[in-house]
Amino acid sequence: MAKMTLKLPKAAVSMQEGKIVEWFVANGADVAVGQKLYALETEKTTMEVDSPFTGTVTLLGQVGTTYQVGHPIAEINT
Amino acid sequence: MTSTMSSVLGKDRAVKIFETMVRIAACDRRIQQSLAAGELQFQYYPCGGQEAIPATIASCIKPDDYVVTTYRGIHDIVAKGTPMTEIIAEMYGRVTGTSKGKGGPMHLSDPNTGLMVTTGIVGGGAPIANGLALAEQLKGSGRIVVCNFGDGAANIGALHESMNMAALWQLPIVFVCQNNLYAEYTSFAASTRSKTIAQRGAGYDMPGVCVDGNSPEAMIEAVEAAVKRARTGGGPTLLECVAQRLQGHAFGSEETHMDKVALDEGRKNAPIIVFRKRLIDTQTATEDQLKKIEQAAEDEVSAAQKFAQSSQAPGAHELYTDIFADPGLVPDSGIMAKAVSASPIPAGGRKLTYGQAVTDALDIALGKDSKVILLGEDIEDPAGGVVKATYGLSTKYGRERVRGTPISEQAIVGAAIGASLAGFKPVAEVMICDFAMVCMDQIANHAAKLRYMSGGRTSVPITIRMLTAGNVGSFGAQHSQSLEAWFAHTPGLKVVMASTPADAKGLLLSCIDDPDPCIFIEPMRCYFGADMVPEGDYRIPLGSAAIRKSGKDITLVSYGWGMQEVGAAAQTLAAEGIDAEVIDLRSIMPFDMPTVLASVEKTRRAVIVHPAVEFCGFGAELATRLNDALFGKLKAPVGRVGARYTPIAFSQTLDSLHFPNAGRVVEKVKHLMTFK
Repeated sequence: MAKMTLKLPKAAVSMQEGKIVEWFVANGADVAVGQKLYALETEKTTMEVDSPFTGTVTLLGQVGTTYQVGHPIAEINT
Repeated sequence: MTSTMSSVLGKDRAVKIFETMVRIAACDRRIQQSLAAGELQFQYYPCGGQEAIPATIASCIKPDDYVVTTYRGIHDIVAKGTPMTEIIAEMYGRVTGTSKGKGGPMHLSDPNTGLMVTTGIVGGGAPIANGLALAEQLKGSGRIVVCNFGDGAANIGALHESMNMAALWQLPIVFVCQNNLYAEYTSFAASTRSKTIAQRGAGYDMPGVCVDGNSPEAMIEAVEAAVKRARTGGGPTLLECVAQRLQGHAFGSEETHMDKVALDEGRKNAPIIVFRKRLIDTQTATEDQLKKIEQAAEDEVSAAQKFAQSSQAPGAHELYTDIFADPGLVPDSGIMAKAVSASPIPAGGRKLTYGQAVTDALDIALGKDSKVILLGEDIEDPAGGVVKATYGLSTKYGRERVRGTPISEQAIVGAAIGASLAGFKPVAEVMICDFAMVCMDQIANHAAKLRYMSGGRTSVPITIRMLTAGNVGSFGAQHSQSLEAWFAHTPGLKVVMASTPADAKGLLLSCIDDPDPCIFIEPMRCYFGADMVPEGDYRIPLGSAAIRKSGKDITLVSYGWGMQEVGAAAQTLAAEGIDAEVIDLRSIMPFDMPTVLASVEKTRRAVIVHPAVEFCGFGAELATRLNDALFGKLKAPVGRVGARYTPIAFSQTLDSLHFPNAGRVVEKVKHLMTFK
């Protein structure tokens, strides 16, 4: 058991910030590695980000909100 | 079906290949997970879809064979056997990484496992791979080189030069084109008209084979044949392994340029999925066995990640280590120490021209050390070089060691770099300074940086000789430049320009034995006329200036053929009652700041003279340093006399207006003497 923090990833060289467009899982849901977690909109594209961990997810980031790269957006209790 | 798998690969090898593919995939996946979690932030080029290629090759080569790869190369690195801990730690930029965190994902090196170079320059690895192969061919070791590159690199000149040279010399190398159907964001079809890359082998009289890079069973025969050919003296092979990149160019990159249907299909039938199924279907392995392999790979990567996370970032002292063998040479460290000669320069000698002194130095180096080799265009007898600087040497030492080359500057310098990585001390000649621009990638991106990018695990002790024909008349804009400031601007290069035959010999011998890459620029204007040159082996250390004339009124600093104009200017000034001190810098990286500083502290005036364009020339650097060190003590601003900001014209009238001369030096000095 460990609490893993998910930060907004740097998905392109020029990326400074990104917007969470949609969470594909509910707060408190169990997620598995590789499961689609959220849609991230950057200045270039919208990408679907997979869960890097298996565990119970706590969503911190709000849909429609833009965050800086590195900002915590979720926690997963593994 | 059981017999097919067994007979083609053999059971143990099939499982081993799968294990390597699984370890590659686990490593790639974990890196991308850490990127997705925001824990790591860098540009990462995933290898998904190409796992089977190095996994199959690894099963055919020996642990001490060499591999050169490219920035999309994590699969090649894992397959070669580099410890997972060091790979992941390098991704985290930690001091425990393969390169102490100085290389990162694009520049891993692990000489322990033969992974000599990972380059971030498309096609830049091939010339160096040739050099490694040349070294092992000369040693007769039987070691071979696997040179990996993508379909995009197949269209860059360095590859062409390298494949031609490898075929010409029948080098023990396998060129592996990992054709993943995309060069960054451009499809294979949009990059080349030829149906395959392999068919280009015919142009080099080299076997070219195109195989399905998704399947170990489809690849194994061609890989084994290529490896055997290289190992048994049969020369190089161009092996094209066609796979499919299963992601965009980099982590997070869009995939709009990729065929969506093919991509979905490719992901469903990824090589690792298909091969796993084959192992089960053919009863080559059990489900249990494969699960254990998969779990072991996950555990290995987890342990490596923990190792990386608990490792330290490189300390600030690492910033300046691994640039040169001696960290004290870095100019940022302040005032560099004056290099002191280890042994006195013998007295007497005989009269030699500059060119003959260069030949003498090369002769001594070749005679003393079997690891010294010469590479360059026209250097073999009977030509013996365009200015005869290597005349007689191929006859005396053989064409293996004094090796004429095609007109392929990237391949020449790359061969020198590669051979130096494998223990040789190559002297490459690129004929004319201006031609070095053709191979600047090899010089500035590879020779200069490999020590640093590898965290000091590899080094490039090479010498690159080049002429500059400036101010000898009629050579024009592309044979006459003095480009020393270009080289000096790149951390990791030493830059030398001798003005006399005796210095040329002593400095060149120092360069050949130097642990770092040395650029040795020979001014053609100094080739005329003979002077006394001591006999035998003697060294003039890099970073030791010579005071050619003592004086009290002003310091004139120059190097190369600029010394001739400065010497003439000093005579004119003396006749007019101005007593100039004249310093020949001899090398500009490292440069002898203590000698210059002591002189200018005494004279309180200085002019720096060089044949290179004055704007952004080395004079600007030296002037700033003198101003910083002696502000308040100087009687006049430090002056510069360099070439005008123009290309060099053919016309003698314009040529003489371009270059600095004694008259301009005298004029500048007189102006500075008006400051009291």
